[in-house]
Order: sequence, then C-alpha cells, then structure tokens
Amino acid sequence: MRISRRTFATAVVTAALLPLTACGSGNDSSSGDASGKIQGDITFQTWNLRANFKPYFESLIADFEHQYPGTHVKWVDQPAENYADKISAEAAGGTLPDVVNVSPDLAAPLAKAGLALNLDKDKAAAKYQGEYLPGAWSSTDIPGLPGTWAFPWYLNTGPLFYNKALFKKAGLNPDQPPKTYTELFKDGLQIAEKTDGKVATLSNVPAIEDFGRYGVQLMNKGGTGFAFNDAKGVELLTKYKELYDAKALDPQALTATPESAGQKFLTGAVAMNPGSALDLKNFKTQAPSLYKNIGITDQITNTGHVNMYVMGLLVNSQSKQKPAAVAFAHFVTDAKNQMSFAKKVAIFPSTAGSLDNPYFTKEDGTDETRVRVAAAKSLKTAVNYTPVLFSDQMKTALQQEVAKALQGKESPKQALDNAVKACDQLLKQG
Amino acid sequence: MRRQLPTSPWLFAAPGLLVTAAFVLYPFVSTVVNSFTDRRTLIPGHFVGLANYREMLHDDMFWIALRNSTLYIIGVVPALVLLPLLLALLVQKHIPGIAFFRSAFYTPVVASIVVVGLIWVWLLDERGLINSLLETLGASPVGFLSDQWLILLSAMAVTVWRGIGYYMIIYLAALANVPRELHEAAAVDGAGAVRRFLTVTVPALRSTMVLVAALSAVSAFKVFSEVYLIANPTGGPAGEDTTLVMLVQRTGTGLSGRVGYSSAISVVVFVITVVLMLLVMRADRKDEAQA
Repeated sequence: MRISRRTFATAVVTAALLPLTACGSGNDSSSGDASGKIQGDITFQTWNLRANFKPYFESLIADFEHQYPGTHVKWVDQPAENYADKISAEAAGGTLPDVVNVSPDLAAPLAKAGLALNLDKDKAAAKYQGEYLPGAWSSTDIPGLPGTWAFPWYLNTGPLFYNKALFKKAGLNPDQPPKTYTELFKDGLQIAEKTDGKVATLSNVPAIEDFGRYGVQLMNKGGTGFAFNDAKGVELLTKYKELYDAKALDPQALTATPESAGQKFLTGAVAMNPGSALDLKNFKTQAPSLYKNIGITDQITNTGHVNMYVMGLLVNSQSKQKPAAVAFAHFVTDAKNQMSFAKKVAIFPSTAGSLDNPYFTKEDGTDETRVRVAAAKSLKTAVNYTPVLFSDQMKTALQQEVAKALQGKESPKQALDNAVKACDQLLKQG
Repeated sequence: MRRQLPTSPWLFAAPGLLVTAAFVLYPFVSTVVNSFTDRRTLIPGHFVGLANYREMLHDDMFWIALRNSTLYIIGVVPALVLLPLLLALLVQKHIPGIAFFRSAFYTPVVASIVVVGLIWVWLLDERGLINSLLETLGASPVGFLSDQWLILLSAMAVTVWRGIGYYMIIYLAALANVPRELHEAAAVDGAGAVRRFLTVTVPALRSTMVLVAALSAVSAFKVFSEVYLIANPTGGPAGEDTTLVMLVQRTGTGLSGRVGYSSAISVVVFVITVVLMLLVMRADRKDEAQA
C-alpha cells in the first residue's frame, strides 16, 4: 500500500488538531437525582487509611453490604504522598471513584469541574444535613459556587508539643508554654539567646493557617480575592523575620516539610512542634528522653480559635450508582460509625452532639485522654483557616514569598503584596 | 521466491509504530498543542495562541529555573567527562581484587535515587555527619540544606557521585579498543604517563568523551530527582533551586495544575535539549574535520 504525501500530511495535521477539539467543551455536572434503589457496585477511595485501619473498613463495608443487599463496595486506598495528583489523574481520565475521601481544598477543584455532587441540591442527600455540625456541613462551601460538596467526615485539630527540658534550659517556666503569638515570639527569642542559637523554637515558616490564627483577614468578604497582605499580616511576617534572624526559627525552615520539622523536634533541635495524639506513640518509641519531657498545649492563637482540619466524602456526580454512593457516604459518616472510628484513632466526629459524649469530655489521667479532651473542647469553637480555594500552587506562592521576606530579599509588605497578587492571579485562572 | 506484498513491511512495523505513536508521538503532539491553550487539569482549555510563551518571558521563576538547569550543566558535565575517565584508567588494570572496586564504583548507579537522596540529606543536615565532623574540627556548621547555592552544589555532587560509575563503564569499553601498540610506541619515544594520556588516550577516546558530554549534558539539563530530594518539593528557599523539570512538575500537576503553561515550558525544555545535542554533534564534527 502506498501512502501519498498528501494523505500523510493530512493524517499528521488531523492528529495534531484532534486534541484541540476537546478544548472548550466543558464538563457538565450530572443533574440526575440520587433517589432510587440502593444497589449496584461502587468504588470507595480513602487517603492512606488501609495500613492502620484495614479491619475497621472491611467490617464497615460488610455491614453496609448486609444492610443494603445487592450492593458491592470496592475499597481502594491511596498513599498519603501526591494524593492530589492521584485524584487529578483519576478525574482527568474519567475514573474518579464513586465515593472519594477529600479535604475541602481538594473538593473545590472537583466541584468546579462538575465532578462533585451538590448535596444541598440532591433530595436524597440534603435530608441528612441536620445530622452534622453546621460548620462541618458547610466546610466545602465555595465562594461563587455555593453548596455542600462532600459529606463531612472526621475533624481534627492538633495540639502543640513542646520540649520541657529545653524550656527549662532557657530559663522559662516549663509549665507555662506560650498561648498567643506575642508570648511565642518572646519565648522564642529567649530560647535562642540562652542556647546561643543552637535551639530554635519553631521549624516551619508561617502558613496560611498561622495568618488566620494571628487574626489576619485571609480573603475579602466576597471571597473574590485574597487580603492577607494587610497591616496585621505584615506585622506577623515582620515578627517571624525577627525570629529567623535570631535563629529562633530553624535555618532549614525555609525548605521544611512536616516530616523534616517533626524530625527536628525529635532530635531536640527545635523546642515546639504541632502534631496530633498519634505523635505521642512516636515519641514513646523513637525518642524516649523527649517523651519524658514532653509538654502538651493548645495551638498558638490570637483569635481564641484553633485551626481545624476537616475530612469529607465526596460523591462523584458522574457515578452510575448515585443512590448507593450517597447511601454509602452517609453510612460511613453517620454518628454511629464516626464514633466507632474515633475510638480507633485520634479523630473527632463531625456529627451533631457526638463531641458531648463522655469519651470526649472525661479524662482518665493519661496523656492520651488529656490530649483528646482538650482537642474536643477546642474543636467546638475551631475554625478551618485554610480557604477552600487555596490551592497547592497558592500555598507554594505564599511559602516562596515568605522565604524571600525572611531572607531579607524583600520587605514583609512587598512579599505579602506579591503573594496576594500571585494567589489572585491563580484564583482568576480558575 | 514468492513476491513480497507491498503492505508486508508496514505490517511488520505496525506493532512498533503503534506503540511509538501511542506513547511517544501522541503525548508529544498533545504537549505541543496544549502549550497553545489555557488548559487546567480538570478544565479543558481554549486556544490562547502564544500567551503561555509570552507569560514565560515575564515569569521570574522560569528564568531562575533556566539559570539553575544551565548551571547544572556547567557544574556537572566537566566532572562527568573527566572523573569517570580517570577512574576507568585506574580500574582497567588487571590486579587482584579489582572487580570489587569496579562493582563498588558502580553501586551508586543501581541504588534507588530516593534512598541515595535521603542518605545525602542526613549527611548534609545541620546536625548531620558532615557538620558534626566540621564541628569536631572546630569549624562552624555549614548550611548545606539551607543556602540556595550550597543546595545546588550538593545536588550536583550527588549527580556526579551517582553518574561516575555509569560513565566509567562506557570508558572501560572504549579503553579496551585503544591499540596497545600506540602506548608502547609513545613509551619507546620517551613519553611519560601524563603525556601518553594526553596524546594517546584522550585522542583515541575523543568520540566517547563527546558521547559522555552529550549524554550527561542532556540528563543534567533535565535534572529533577536529586534537586527535588535535597531542596525539597519547594525548590529550596523561596524556590531559588527550582530546575526547569521541577517547574514543569510543580506547575502542571495537582487538581489546579496549569497544564497549558506547563506544556509550554516542556516544549522549551525540548527545544533547548535538541539545540544542545546539535551543538555537541557539531563541535564533534568540527574537531574531526580539523583532526
């Protein structure tokens, strides 16, 4: 067979233009209702939960399948790293599972792409609204795209751990850790001075949650632009610059990850580190001398509210078994199952009234219950300070500008102006 | 003999062509097409002409990444052309136990880059082995992982350390083809070891050296893992250690990834790589003509 040059050229041009035909087609959210018979096969994706909770989820799925005969749930679990990349590959490839474990900032782009079911507008899902804490139900509400885009699942807020021995060494009262940013800056400078810069107080640069807890307004009222470059934001960054210059902020903080920061705390190179009750186990096994001197306090905040992390279960709007997907997402997140999950790991239910359970209000003298009760108490007034529209690219933009300010390459004001400009640009680009 | 059908060659080539078309040609064409759109990970884009390329010109991070990738070539290529050659000269001798050293030098090549990266991070940490040694000697700790230039230098050191064994094997194969008589004749004429190296070994290995230069330059320009592990995903303080491929990854991935812009950077990386290869080949031809 002979292929003429013209045919070949046409084939190449067609191949080159084919992908362009996909441009601008848009993704319409399926408007089908989730009412109907609960049956069929669905896929449920969790975020790094198989390793520690396999029996719990297998039993949960078996209970659901028993309660709704004719359903079958396939459970897949993804590793913690690059979870957003995994979801984006699934979404782009049309293989997003029926029920997906997401945080609000992951739910937002999926909702914008029409891949998340709006629970407020779906009759079968909306009826469950009253079962959840109001703040948790609205945690995935997106400015410009109102709605509830995921069933609220578990909540978390971490305590702040500190090394009492290092506090003592610096002449500070180990039983009076800092509570506000003003106290934190004062203690941090003292620790650096007394240890000749060998011990830093923190190993992370301020993130968007820090600006929130400092009392900075993060976005404008309409949610159409960022606003953390106001006088208060500049003040916070200026204080951090003082910490960095005095070595009260670890020199490697500019490139730190949560893992590397945790490692610094374990080795006694930094005096304070945020964490969760899970970390106590690590301290016990990996750093027994640190465990003996561990202090536990609330997150530093100037607003009286600590930061809260919300996990949710998104229902894929394109699911072929929407009734089963909604029923399963509700089943996993109902009060009974959230309570049962909370007893296996240090998380907190997002269902109304659950936090009043004696399990979250009574201490038994152990560190674990002390952390749990304190966290449950602070959760009642906690705020999710990460705006749902704050994407990974925006987090990077803020981190880079903060680093420039700390290095003295830009003034705090200039750095925050640049960060806001970059974030607004990314927000505009969708 | 039966006459071959005109379609026969195409049928034989079809499996290979299909695989190439699906996994090489289509992604390539798709990347070029995407570079002219504002496509996001989950949002199909619209044709925007050269907007992504214009944006690149005004993007400070693109110029930082281009600078770092270029510096990487400057720092890594000479070391990877010379050091493996010297090592190959050392281990080509047939002495008892030399196989152990050859294997030892090759080990970093087969070791997992993630493991290697983590080990180097532990070594270079503010409280790591190297800084502890320095402190024992009375020196102040060095910020290998906090200073933007030292981070880049550390990553280069890892690349060179990992690459030496690989290129050493290439040189060993080439050295086996250098006629022994040439060395003997030079020795008879009174040439010492250094002179024989410069006048016999180097000219005989010129093509191999060009090959090593080309291969190491291309892989240095596309460096990702070493810098990603040592500078962390942020690309060092304020992203100052970001390389071009890291920028492609950071810009184009995630749920809000800017696939269009990221594709435009990929196209630029591709063009620079091709130009780099052409320059090396041209320099080789010029040298051959002069020789």
